[in-house]
Amino acid sequence: MILKKISQAVIEGDVEGVKEMANQGLEEGITPQQLLDDGVLAGMEVVGERFKNFDMYIPEVLKSARVMHTVMDILRPKLVSSDGGESSSSKGTVVLGTVEGDMHDIGKNLVSLMLEGAGFKVVDIGIDQSPKSFVEAVEKEKPQIVGMSALLTTTAPKIGETVEALKEAGVRDSVKIMAGGAVIDQAFVDENGVDAYGPSATAAMDIAQQFVNEVKQNAS
Amino acid sequence: MQVNQVHYSTPQFSVLSQDEREMIFKGALEVMERVGGRFFNEEALELFRNSDAQVTEDNLVKIPSWMTIQAINDAPNTITLCSRDGERNVHLGKNQVYFGTGSDCPFIYDRNSGERRRYTCEDVYNAARVVDSLPNLDFFMSLGLASDVPHDETYDRHQFFSMVRGTKKPLVVTAVDKEGLHDLYQMELLLTGSEDEFRLNPRFAVYIEPSSPLAHSNECLEKLLFCAENSIPAIYTPCPSAGATAPASIAGMLIQTLAESLQGLVLSHLKKPGMPFIMGGVVTIMDMKTSNYCYGAPEMSLASAALTDVSKYLDLPMFSTAGCSDARVLDEQAAIEAQISIETAFLSGASLVHDIGYLDSGLNGSLEMLVLCNEIIGMVKHLGKGITVDEDHLAADLIDQVGPGGNFLTTSHTFDHYKNEFFFPKLLDRHNVETWAAQGKNTIVDHVNKSLDQILSTYEPEPLPDGVEKKMKEIIEKADKKMEQKKG
Ligand code: B1M
Repeated sequence: MILKKISQAVIEGDVEGVKEMANQGLEEGITPQQLLDDGVLAGMEVVGERFKNFDMYIPEVLKSARVMHTVMDILRPKLVSSDGGESSSSKGTVVLGTVEGDMHDIGKNLVSLMLEGAGFKVVDIGIDQSPKSFVEAVEKEKPQIVGMSALLTTTAPKIGETVEALKEAGVRDSVKIMAGGAVIDQAFVDENGVDAYGPSATAAMDIAQQFVNEVKQNAS
Repeated sequence: MQVNQVHYSTPQFSVLSQDEREMIFKGALEVMERVGGRFFNEEALELFRNSDAQVTEDNLVKIPSWMTIQAINDAPNTITLCSRDGERNVHLGKNQVYFGTGSDCPFIYDRNSGERRRYTCEDVYNAARVVDSLPNLDFFMSLGLASDVPHDETYDRHQFFSMVRGTKKPLVVTAVDKEGLHDLYQMELLLTGSEDEFRLNPRFAVYIEPSSPLAHSNECLEKLLFCAENSIPAIYTPCPSAGATAPASIAGMLIQTLAESLQGLVLSHLKKPGMPFIMGGVVTIMDMKTSNYCYGAPEMSLASAALTDVSKYLDLPMFSTAGCSDARVLDEQAAIEAQISIETAFLSGASLVHDIGYLDSGLNGSLEMLVLCNEIIGMVKHLGKGITVDEDHLAADLIDQVGPGGNFLTTSHTFDHYKNEFFFPKLLDRHNVETWAAQGKNTIVDHVNKSLDQILSTYEPEPLPDGVEKKMKEIIEKADKKMEQKKG
C-alpha cells in the first residue's frame, strides 16, 4: 500500500508528502531496497514512459526526479551494501560535456537531468571541453559511459578527435561513448567511432541503460 | 471644414504601454546592477575596469544604471544600410520594417533528390540569388552554413564570397571570430572602396550573440569590439529560451534579454561612444514536451513585439524574428507559423526582421520558404498600408451616382482606385475550380516550387566588378593557408 503511495507521489511530484511516506514505510518494516525498487523506481519508470510518449511536461518530470532524490536522501544511509560500505544507489557513472569550441548546453543539461532521473551518476564537465579534458575526466572518474554534445557543424569534428584522444590515452575500451546534438546523426556517429547516437534526452536514457546492461553481460 | 481630426491611416499595434516599457527597462537596469554579467574577454574587462563599472572575481561585471542610460542616449536611433552599389535603401529606426533571411542553418532539402543534406557554398549562392530576386526581402543573411570548405574555422570567408556573388542587397553577416570578421570586412571594402565610404554607407551589419543567461563569450566580445573600433553596425542579440535559459515568464525573459543586449551596448560605448548599435533578441520558449527551441511559437511573436515596444521607448533600432517555423518540411504548419510571426513583427515596427526561410527550428534553410514568405510579407505590407479616409475615398457621391442595384465596375472611380487599394497576389490561387483543375490543381506549395524553379533557372545576379573576385579569393586562400599551417 505504502509502496503504491510512494510511486504515486513520485508520479505526481509530491516532494513534501513523500518524506512522511518513506519514513512510514521504514517503520512498517519495509526494507530500504524495496522502498527504492518498488516505490521510487517503479514510479520513475511510469514517469519515464509518459515522458517518452510526450504525455508529461519536462518541469513535471524534473519535479518527479526531485521526489526521487528526496527519498534517496532518506534511504541512502540505510542502504548498506554487502561489503559493509554504503551501497551505491547509482546505475553507473556518465562523464558528460559539450565539445571544444561549442557553448550550447541546453540539450546537454537536459540529458544530464534525465540520466540523473534514471539513476545514473552524472559528472557534467561543462561546455567548451577539449579532448584532453574528457580524457582527464575519464581517468579521474572511471565512468562506464562518456557523453558528448555538439551543436555546430564546426565543432562536430571534435567528437571524433575526443574518441581518438581516449584511444591514445588507452581508456577508449573502458567506456561506451554516445553523442548527440542538432548536427549529429547516425552516419556521423558511425564514421567517428562513437558507440551510439542520441537523438533526444530520452533516447540518451535508454542508450545509457543499454550500455550498462551490456557491460554487466560482458562482465558475467 | 473639420478640426481636431486624428488620422491613423495605418494599423495601430503595441503590446506594452509606456509604463510597462519603463518597467521592463528598469528591470533590465536592476539586473545589470544587481546580478551583472560574465565577460570572457580581457580587453572588455579592461575597459570595464577603467570605467565606473565593477569587475569582480570570475569576470563578473556590474554596471551602474547611469552608465547604461548614457550609452543609450549616445547611441544612434537611425542607421542606414546600403546595397553593393551604395544605394541607401535600408533605414533602421523605429517603425521602418525590413525583412531578411536568417543565417547558418546546417541542412537543406536537395531540390533534385529531396534528401536532407548539409549546406554548400552553392546553396548559399542560390539563397542569395533568390533573395536578390524577391521584392519583399530587403537584406540577406547566409541562410545556411557552407560546409564544403577546406577548414571549418574559415568557412565564413567562403560563405561571404557566395553571398556577395549572389546579391547586391544589404547584408547581415556572421563570422567565426575576430579574424574572420576582419577578413569579411576586407573583402567588402574591395566593393565599398574605403573605410570612410563604409562608415558612411555600410553594406553590412554584424550578427553577434551573447550566451543567455548573462554571459558573453570571448568570440562574441572580440567581434563586438572589432565593430566598435571600425564603426561597423553591430547587432547584439541574445537567444534565450523561456523556461531553460531565461525565466518562464515572458516579462522576466525580456528584462534578462534586454540586460544582455545593453551590457553589450555599454561595452561598445566604452570602446567607441555612439557607435552604430542594434539591440535584439530571439525571445522564445522551450517546448516543455519535446525540448524544442521554438521558432514558430506565438510566444516568440508576442515577446518579440513587446521587446520591440521597449526598443522604441529606448529609441534604439531593433533586430526581430519572423518567417520561421518548427515544421520539419514546407507544409501548412510552416505557413501558419510564418504568417503569424511576419504579421506580428511587421505591425510591431521592428527595424530588421530576420530568420525568414528557417524550417525545422532553425536547422533547415529553405529556399521554398523564402518564396512563400515573400508572398506573406506582401500581404502583410498591404495591411500596413492601412486605408485612406477622405472625401474621395469615402465615395458617398459615387454611391449616390450608382445607386441601389447598380454596379461599380464600369465607373472611373474603380478604374482610378483599384490598383492602389487592392493587393495583387503572385502565388495565391484565386482561379475558379474549373480553371484551377484545368491548370493542374496546383496547391500553394506547387506554386512556390514553380516560382522557385523559375528563379533558380533564370535569375542572373549582377556579376562582381572586374578583378574583385580574384582579390577576394586571395583573402580566402590566405586564411585557409594560415589555418593549414596552424594545424600542421
Ligand atoms: C551525450 O549524448 C547526448 C545525447 C543526446 C543529446 C546530446 C548528447 N546533446 C543533445 N542531445 C539531444 O537531446 C537534447 C534534448 O532532447 C537535444 O539537444 P539540443 O541541444 O539539440 O536541443 C535543446 C534542448 C534545444 N535547442 C537549443 O538549445 C539550441 C537552439 C538554437 C537556436 C541555438 C541557441 C539557443 C544558441 N546558440 Co546556436 N543555436 C542553434 C540552435 C538551433 C536548433 N534548433 O538547434 C544553432 C545550433 N546555433 C547555431 C550557430 C550558428 C551559433 N550558435 C551560437 C550561440 C548560441 C547561443 C549561445 C546564443 C544559444 C545557446 C545557449 C545555450 N546555453 O546553450 C554561436 C556559436 C557559439 C559557440 N561557439 O558555441 C553561433 C555560431 C552563432 C554565431 N554566429 O555566433 C546554428 C548552427 C549552425 C551550424 N550549421 O553549425 C544553429 C542551428 C542555429 C542557426 N540556424 O543559426 C538533442 O539534440
